[in-house]
Amino acid sequence: MKKKIVSVILCAAMAVTLIAGCGAPAAETGGNDEGGSSSAATEGIPKDEIKVGFVHVSDPSDMGYTYNQDLGTQEMQKELGLSDDQIINKYNVPEGAECDTALRELVDAGCNIIFATSFGFEDYVKEVAAEYPDVQFCHATGYQAADSGLDNFHNYFASIYEGRYLAGIAAGLKTETNKLGYVAAFPFAEVISGYTAFYLGAKSVNPDVTMDIMYTNSWNDPTVESQVAKALIDRGCDVISQHSDSTAPATTAEENGVWQVGYNNDMIEAAPDASLISPRIDWGIYVTEAVQDVIDGKEIPVDWCKGLADGAVYLSPLNTAIAAEGTQEAIDEAEEKIISGDLHVFAGPLKGVSPDGEEIEVAEGDYYHEQEESSAPSWQYIIEGCNVVE
Amino acid sequence: MLNTLSGLFTAAVLAGTPLLLGALGEILTEKSGNLNLGVEGMMFMGAITGLAGSYYYEQAVIQSGGTPTGVMSALIALFASFLAGALGALIYGFLTITLRANQNVTGLTLTIFGTGFGNFFGEYIGQQAGGYVAVSDVTKGVFSRLNIPVLSDIPVIGSLFFRDNWLVYFAIVVAVVMAWFFNRSRVGLNLRAVGENPATADAAGINITLYKYLATVIGGGICGIGGMYMSMVTTSGVWVHDCVSGYGWLAVALVIFATWSPARGMIVALIFGGLTIMRMYINIPGLPAQIYDMVPYVATIIVLVVTSMRESREHAQPKSCGLNYFREER
Repeated sequence: MKKKIVSVILCAAMAVTLIAGCGAPAAETGGNDEGGSSSAATEGIPKDEIKVGFVHVSDPSDMGYTYNQDLGTQEMQKELGLSDDQIINKYNVPEGAECDTALRELVDAGCNIIFATSFGFEDYVKEVAAEYPDVQFCHATGYQAADSGLDNFHNYFASIYEGRYLAGIAAGLKTETNKLGYVAAFPFAEVISGYTAFYLGAKSVNPDVTMDIMYTNSWNDPTVESQVAKALIDRGCDVISQHSDSTAPATTAEENGVWQVGYNNDMIEAAPDASLISPRIDWGIYVTEAVQDVIDGKEIPVDWCKGLADGAVYLSPLNTAIAAEGTQEAIDEAEEKIISGDLHVFAGPLKGVSPDGEEIEVAEGDYYHEQEESSAPSWQYIIEGCNVVE
Repeated sequence: MLNTLSGLFTAAVLAGTPLLLGALGEILTEKSGNLNLGVEGMMFMGAITGLAGSYYYEQAVIQSGGTPTGVMSALIALFASFLAGALGALIYGFLTITLRANQNVTGLTLTIFGTGFGNFFGEYIGQQAGGYVAVSDVTKGVFSRLNIPVLSDIPVIGSLFFRDNWLVYFAIVVAVVMAWFFNRSRVGLNLRAVGENPATADAAGINITLYKYLATVIGGGICGIGGMYMSMVTTSGVWVHDCVSGYGWLAVALVIFATWSPARGMIVALIFGGLTIMRMYINIPGLPAQIYDMVPYVATIIVLVVTSMRESREHAQPKSCGLNYFREER
């Protein structure tokens, strides 16, 4: 009998720690005192009553994508003077049915506006948005809002390809083997647009450069990211860049004595002898605007996209200790031209083939209007010099 | 071609070592008749405590005005991860050996518990450190590739065999010692008897409870070291959420693939490690990455089918594995 009691207690203890361990990152619900159901689009919501929800695929400890998103949240909180319990974060939500649950929990907790920050959340956001017309839903990196016919479903992104182009300049000047490596998440337009811009930036200063691209098939899998980076280094790549969430490619590059260009966060702290520069997005600009719109009772734009000119895309400080001479000057020059409109990243002549076999040709003097009509990147064509390894 | 192959080999060793450690821990556990499915959990516990041990050691030394040494840092990581894994296994052992709870359920619970434990404390320590936990260059240096004088400089062979990190050699030593222990020592023979038929072993005067506890706890500790490999080597001493990411389950599959033999474990860990990273080195045009990712599991199924067809007594799972021993029910 005694043993049975002890066993029950032990099992209970394990279960409790389990809930504490798994629950803490996933569900940090704030006070649940009021059910926010007032219509945002018409009368607005007092600032001290508004509740803002976020659904993230990872958590700020990734020191990459979600960390950067979280900085935007903090910026918005400071700007608008919201208290901590007005902001509810759901971290480490997989891109599956769990997203649906997380969104509904946020609605139940009284959120007036909910931001979902990962590409794969979009279908769930669309579904839940249709059910709760009084709550505003904003989805980063997606493309379906304009065609969805929903007034409360919006897409937003920044023209990160401009930043990638500039970061590519640093890589193009640094490489000695003239071979870049790219740890890419998925063969989607968002990723392809990013690495093509990065490659074009490198090529603008180094015509001989080529690039190997390898997919991890995950936004955030540090083990695979590190293995892919190692495989690229073994193929002779000496500058590694990434479209994946963690710092693993940076630390792998450092360990193998090559260089790296990050994404979303200044990765110099993680890899001081490898990380050259990182293109970043300032999510705070949009998040602040959108929450302000809800407070004022204004419409949130269906598609929002800003870039270098507005500070929504920027570069982390250049690691001058290891960057090639003249890098900063070259980047500054290109940045000025992009902002003034003299330079277009996807300028012709360009020829590419999408993974589905669709071909595109941009004529000399013309350019591809990336992210101008919708906030989602649409360049999904692999150009000459980019070698996808699969 | 030669470069690709040597790159593949080196990467396979790197990917295979945590699998080997996890599998060795589980082999020791299963030889005592305990099927501990909590390998993933114990690896997570080892991963965070190993990293935390090194990190706090460095902080403490720096605060008191000294300079941390890499060897000390590595030893602390080793012992901390061993203790954490052993602690996880002790919970499992107490529940299954003393209280005779169902082994499968307890093991699965331990996996979920350990995963939460690792991620929770990883994030907690990260937030305390103002963002994320990263060990200093001194510790990173100890866990990176070794450069052994003379040996490392031998062409081809040097870069293939003498330039790995020290945990690789540690894992090989553990495997060799374990193989000797099972097959050549009296205590090892007793342990195998406990796993095969505890009632007979009990009648022969072997202390069943002691053997089961020791094997399970030490096995768990070895799994913990495998987890420490993930946080210290694979992610280079930076805590990343979910860093073990299923390697514990691969290790359980590897035990079957190795047919409960530590010596064979070394070879199959290398094969398994190679299969997990194969797509990055050997490209078959038109073959989707998902097919590559399936290969290790398909290989496990094939081995399982083949070994069960051969009905070899020597290469089978210990007979009482998964069953609790209760003397009064003999």
